[in-house]
Order: sequence, then C-alpha cells, then structure tokens
Amino acid sequence: MEVMKYMKKKLILFSSLVVLSGCAAGSSQPSSNEDVKDQSWDSIKEKAEGETVSLYMWGGDDGINQYIDDWVKPQLLDAYGVRLERIPLDTNEILQKLETEKRAGQDDGTIDMIWMNGENFKRAKESDLLFGPFVEQLPNYNAYYDADSLDFKYDFGTETEGYEAPWGKVQFVFHYDSAKISEPPATLEELQQWTEDNPGKFTYPAAGDFTGDAFLRHVLYGTTSAETLFTEPFSMELADKESAGVWSYLKDIEPNLWRKGDTYPSSLTELDRLYSQGEVWMTMGYNEARGEVLVKDGVFPESTKSFVLEEPGSIGNTHFLSIPYNSPNKEAALTAIDLLLSPEAQLAKLEPDYWGENTPIDVSKLEEEDRQAFEAVDRGDTVLDQESLMDAFVPEIDAEYVPWLQEKWIDEVASQ
Amino acid sequence: MKKSLFYSLSAIFFLLPGVLLMLKSVTPVWKWGEAFSFTFTLRGWETFLMDDRIFHALFLSILIALAATFINLAIGMISGKALSHQNFKGKSLIETLLLLPLFLPVMAAALGLHITMIRLGLANTWFGVVLVHLVPTVPYTIKVMKAGYDRLGGGMLEQAQMLGAKPLYIFRTVELPLLMPSIRSAVFLTVTISMSQYVLTAVIGGGSVITLPIIYYPFLQSVDDTVMAAFSTAFALLPIIAVGAVEIVSKLIRANGLVLNRGVK
Repeated sequence: MEVMKYMKKKLILFSSLVVLSGCAAGSSQPSSNEDVKDQSWDSIKEKAEGETVSLYMWGGDDGINQYIDDWVKPQLLDAYGVRLERIPLDTNEILQKLETEKRAGQDDGTIDMIWMNGENFKRAKESDLLFGPFVEQLPNYNAYYDADSLDFKYDFGTETEGYEAPWGKVQFVFHYDSAKISEPPATLEELQQWTEDNPGKFTYPAAGDFTGDAFLRHVLYGTTSAETLFTEPFSMELADKESAGVWSYLKDIEPNLWRKGDTYPSSLTELDRLYSQGEVWMTMGYNEARGEVLVKDGVFPESTKSFVLEEPGSIGNTHFLSIPYNSPNKEAALTAIDLLLSPEAQLAKLEPDYWGENTPIDVSKLEEEDRQAFEAVDRGDTVLDQESLMDAFVPEIDAEYVPWLQEKWIDEVASQ
Repeated sequence: MKKSLFYSLSAIFFLLPGVLLMLKSVTPVWKWGEAFSFTFTLRGWETFLMDDRIFHALFLSILIALAATFINLAIGMISGKALSHQNFKGKSLIETLLLLPLFLPVMAAALGLHITMIRLGLANTWFGVVLVHLVPTVPYTIKVMKAGYDRLGGGMLEQAQMLGAKPLYIFRTVELPLLMPSIRSAVFLTVTISMSQYVLTAVIGGGSVITLPIIYYPFLQSVDDTVMAAFSTAFALLPIIAVGAVEIVSKLIRANGLVLNRGVK
C-alpha cells in the first residue's frame, strides 16, 4: 500500500510539473507591425505604460550590466511606467532562437529588444527577423542624432534603413604599459620597427577572435592603396588581388612576435592575460575606454595608457538596438529605446562609473547646458582625448571581408 | 604506506585546486614575479552577487537538474534492466542507437528540438529545459544502470520471485538497495551535466529560463581572475549541494521503510 501511495505521489508531482510549466509561457498579444507604425508618439506612450520589456544583450561586463540595472531600469519606470528586464544571452543564440521561431511561425515571441551590429544585423535583416523601420518614430533620435550620418545609415556595409537605432560608438585602440614604452608607434611601419627592437613583446589575437579580426582589418587598411576596397561591396577577385601586402606584412612581423609567432592568443582574454602578467607590453581592443575599469580593478598595470595608429587610423563602429518582428510589446520597446538614446542616458553611459562608452549623439544639436556636460566628462587617464580619436577615425568595411580574412589568415599566416 | 600515498595524491589533485580557487576568489589578480601578498578583497563575490537574480538562478538550476535526474533514473533503470536481463533481436543495435545523442552536435539537437518545443508550447519554459537536458544525460544513465544490472545479475531477482515476492516488493527490497552505487554515479553525472548546459538552456529556455550558466558563461570572456574564481567556486559547489539533496531524500525514503535495506549500504 505504502508503495502505491508513493508511486501515486510521484505521478501527481510529475503531472503538476507539466501543468506548471505550461502556465509559465507568455500570454500578451503582440500588436501587428502596421498598428505600431501609424501611431503617434502619445498613443505609443499610452500603450506602453505598465508593460514589461525584455532587453536581450551579451552579459559579460558588470559595468554594462550595472548601467542597465541601476540607472536605466529606474529611469524608464519613472519616465514611461515601463519595466525593463535585462536578459543575458549571446547574440548568436538570440538570433538562432528568432530564426527557429520564424520558421515555426511563432508570432508572439519573448524578445523586445536586441543589442547588435555588423554581421548579426545583416543576418537578422536578411532573414526578416526585425520590426521596422522604426527609428524615425523616436523623438530623441529625431532631435539629437544626425540622421544623414553614414555611421547610422550603414552598419558594416549593410544599409540599416531604420531597422536599428544607434546606441553607442566604439573605436579600436591599443593599450600599452607606459612604464616600459615611452613612445608608442604611430604607424604600421613603426609598429613593425618596434617589434624588431622589442622581440616577443607584441602579438595579436588569432583570426576568428573579434579583436583579432579587427586588427587584421587595420593591416588591410594600411597595406592596400585601392580606395575601391572600402567603397565598393566585397568582391573576391579584388580582395585577392589587393591583399598581398597584408600577408607579407604579417609574415614579416611574425618572427618578432610573442613566442616567435608559433602560436597566437586564441582570444582577446588570453592577450589581456599576457599583458596583465607583463609577458607582452601591448594589448588592444574594440573600445577606447575598456582599459579604465581593468586598471581600477588592478588587472592592468597602473601605468597603462592607450594609443591609436595615425596611419592607417583607428576603425570605429556604431552598435545599435533593434526590435524583433515578434516582440510582444513593441510600443514599450520603442519608449525604452527612446530613453536609451536620450541625452541623459547617453551622458550616464559616457561617465566612467558604469560603462564609459562613447556616444553616437550629435553633440552640436544639444542644448548648451547638455553640451557642456558632455564635454566636461573625464573619461579617465587611459582614454585618449576626443580629438585624437576623431582624427584617426576610419569607418568599418563590408562585413563580408571578415570571414574572408579569417580563412586567408589561416592559409597564409598560421599554417606557414 | 599505500593509504598515505592515496591521501596525499588526492590532496594534491582534488583538494589543492579547490583551495587555490577559493583563495583566488578573495585576492586581487596576482602578477607573475610579484611578491606574495594576501590583500583580501570581496570584489569577485560582489560581482557574483550583483545580479539580483543569482539566487533565483541557483534555485532554478538545482530544480532543473533534479527534475532531469528523476526522469533520467526512471528511463535509465527501465532500459538498463531490459538491456541487461533480456535477450531480443537487434539488442546491440538498440544499445548503439541509445548512445547516439552523445555524438550529435549540441547545436543540431537544440535547433531540431526547438521547433518541436515551440509546437508543444514547451519552448521558454523550465520544463522544456528539463526535457532537453535529457539529450546529453540519458545515454550515460542508461549505460551506468545497465552496468549496475549486469553486476546484480538475474539470479538474485529470480530467487526473490520464486519465494513469492511481487515485482514492486522485489524492486524496493532487492533492486534499489543493490543498485545504490550505480544510482549515485548516475545522479552525480546527470546533475553535473545538466548544470553546465549553456547552449541547450539558452535556445530552449530562450532567456525566460535563467539558470546559473546563463549568467555565468559570459563572464568567462573576462580577464579578471578574481571574478572568474568566485563564479567557479559557486559553480563547483552546486553539484555537491544537489547530490547532497538526493542523498537526504534517499535517507528519508529508507527511514520511512519504503526501501528495506537488508544489510547493504
């Protein structure tokens, strides 16, 4: 008898599990795209109030996480009565999820906003995963952003067409230990000379790593003369013809790299670790301010400073926020994105306490008071001044160069 | 002599890394060649606790792992027994087929199952995540339980049957107690595997089911060893907690006389 009771209990437990899990699924009805597009901002605000939106974004930086949790969440609740939930997920998994939902015909999803750019945007846009165009509905975008800017019109060569709103801007810089290097190199040639003078003290992450790929694009910029490489869409013939300089440069510096180039750090994390341990004297990264918090936390040496290569320059890109086609709360997502684009939110993001990231806002469109506040922000000792960054700025190239460079790098450099 | 060797080896290989990890989680990043210094810092643990969902995530991870374990044991014992004690045509073929999920790339399994889960309405639910965690765990459990039944042999069960015991009585007085070692291994394997699933949880749970790996994995891309050590310590403690919970449950069941333990531990 006892056993029977026990088995029955098990059965009840099991079936209640099934029921419970069924209840947890989302329930709100999504508005169709057309509804949202024709609405005035006031009615959007009205519909948004009381809703909860989810922002899906990479979650591996506690400064960024804190900015969303401690600054944005209360502000959004205050301004629009919208609750925000931050969901830490890799962009690849987010898009994977959306693609399957699209195939399965699921029109009420769980994602309201995605943080992305470049290849991911291209992939999402080509598979019709995005809602839009929506940026022109945002009051803050219309007031403070330069809609004609090429940075917003193109995302790694893909036309944005209003399907994503610019949220932030980063530039590629090198970090170095000023206690060991007094004068950092300013061109690719000087970098080569420097590796000859200091063998084993420089390396870059292998192709396939986000930062390693960006380094390769700098070399591509520096060793090709053909302007068309950057203005025309990707073409294999042109790339093959013009890229000989890239591989000869990389092969020339190889013997003077860390471990004579026999092996490369497989990720930026590994390169950062080598730098923090003093094995190499330089590291790099696609965010001009990322050294600040690493120095503060004692990971990077106190004497860390940053530099850009004046020739070929420093590649910069913009990253964006977009809304998936099956977002259950499109109105609330619009209000949240509008808030994230506001001068106040951008100013808080620029301050080094949280994130320290540059703003895509057009400072000249701001009120005098706001403009001064932006200009007064002290981004910290490891961050270059705005002028040097601007002078070196060069735009990203067509996203299709990325996989091509990765493959070629393995043939030409790694396996030699 | 042999015993002391055993203890010192286990200390070096199992205890020392754990202690070092805990030390690392409360000291700043140490640079090679720097003098030893023990500056105490809670920064790693503060980052760990920064996300206010961390306890909910811990709880959910344990719940999912235990539910997966429960289903695993049910499937594993039934198929393990059949594979061990029965003879039928195509047995070795079925045995191989049951192992196949282990050789399937996780991403492929996740994508195929995601569509099915959406249709069943189980996508984005924790129970859907439990089900998908069966993919990488059930093959192991079946293997482990089959080995357990192999060791048990058919004779013991036939003996009980001849003495007139009903199947359920045999199950709780003979099978369960004698299979305890196999059950323990299966529980430990399942819990550990289930708790370290990122991709499967991310795709099927879709961000609505936030387990510890969902919060923890992105931090693996950081160079900050202090933070990583804090996360890893917490992560290593989880399977121990879950296995402890299973042990307590089995103790309780025994205390209630549901399983009679005839001199076998």
